[in-house]
Amino acid sequence: MSPTMSLTLKVWRQANPTSAGEFRTYKVHSISPDQSFLEMLDVLNEQLIINGEEPVAFDHDCREGICGMCSLMINGQAHGPERKTTTCQLHMRKFKDGDTIVIEPWRAKPFPVLRDLVVDRSAFDRIMTKGGYVTVNTGNAPDGNAILIPKENADKAFEAATCIGCGACVAACKNASAMLFVSAKVSQLALLPQGQPERTQRVQGMVAQMDSEGFGGCTNTNECEAACPVGISVENIARLNREYIRATVVGLT
Amino acid sequence: MSWVIKAFSSSIGKKLVMAITGLALCGFLAAHLGGNLLLYVGAEQYNHYAEALHSQKLLLPIAEVGLLLLFVMHLVTAVRTTLENRAARPIGYEMRQSKLPPGPFLKPASSVMYGTGIVVLLFLLLHLSDFKFELRNPAVESETPFAKAQILLRDPLTAIVYIIGSFALGYHVLHGVQSAFQTLGFNHPKYNSGVKTLSTLFALVVALGFSSFPLWAWAFHSK
Ligand code: FES
Repeated sequence: MSPTMSLTLKVWRQANPTSAGEFRTYKVHSISPDQSFLEMLDVLNEQLIINGEEPVAFDHDCREGICGMCSLMINGQAHGPERKTTTCQLHMRKFKDGDTIVIEPWRAKPFPVLRDLVVDRSAFDRIMTKGGYVTVNTGNAPDGNAILIPKENADKAFEAATCIGCGACVAACKNASAMLFVSAKVSQLALLPQGQPERTQRVQGMVAQMDSEGFGGCTNTNECEAACPVGISVENIARLNREYIRATVVGLT
Repeated sequence: MSWVIKAFSSSIGKKLVMAITGLALCGFLAAHLGGNLLLYVGAEQYNHYAEALHSQKLLLPIAEVGLLLLFVMHLVTAVRTTLENRAARPIGYEMRQSKLPPGPFLKPASSVMYGTGIVVLLFLLLHLSDFKFELRNPAVESETPFAKAQILLRDPLTAIVYIIGSFALGYHVLHGVQSAFQTLGFNHPKYNSGVKTLSTLFALVVALGFSSFPLWAWAFHSK
């Protein structure tokens, strides 16, 4: 068995959206390097419960890197130090015995803190309702491969579709911009024939909603790409810009 | 035409304003540098060029107003977006670490655009007050353009400030040029490395080119 670790955690505690919040320091012991970051927080919470304190609230669901619920700023990095990894998939072996770890919620005006490390990401849902969908015929399922799609486009659309909507791009961006998220959602559908009917209104609607939510603008710093747990490329942001220019030229409004 | 205003006032629209005005101003930089390089060809050629330029009684004012407009748009949009971007994160992080691979410089050009922009603005104001309005040294008015450049630039303090300004400008366009391509939607695996090389080369030419003039005046033409 590998030796266990003792860690000092500096965790953001906030009782509710309107209370002030502060950092609290906790110590955890006997952490296995094979545990995930969230399992380490589970250990902390058990300890807090035994001591009669409120456990730390944090978001999670699948714990296998696909749902996008986990969302922690770990030592100033979205999802922690490892690239292309969600917090739930981050192993404690990335840390050393005796380390101090600062754990904060995503910080952005459109992502208000609900409690401790949990933020409200419904701004993303509202953006999705403005164009993150396609219309389909009801009735029988269409034949597979009835619509021919170039392999390259299918691949690019798939890559964009792997976005899990976790918000790390917003959290990591110095401007709290949601451009990488929106660009992935716009790209995924703009690249496919099924996405063409709403193509123009999609980009206009989603960008307008993104702006009204209060996200910042993109300054092409590429921090989002580096922080993205699934590796969405900023190439999508260029495509979003092209889609926006196209919609401005051909759109009716 | 309300759709035009609407398109340029969104977050992407403001990026487009920055990109288009920025690239246009880069075009001006290239032309300005090209003209200045005549200083090295000879006094006669430089004076001839300067006189030909200033004899354009119609085109020159139009170009100047155009440049001023571009500059003001670039500046106003920069201030607006910076304020908006700061407002998007009212509560900052306790700790911040980049996940990008470390670059050759202490801070990447993209993260100091506002700072380098302010230095460039101050440099531009100084440069205009020196050469266009002749505020610091009114005596140069009677000199030929070549002699005027020499006299103004050979002052050591001026030379140092101009060199700092030129390098700030170079660092600013290093990010600016490639960022403008990305903003205009120009991102393609076949051309991306070319765009990067182009902006690096342009930044080098701007920084070294403009800072060479005070060095030249200082080294070869000091009294
Ligand atoms: S908990 Fe589902 S991605 Fe981390």
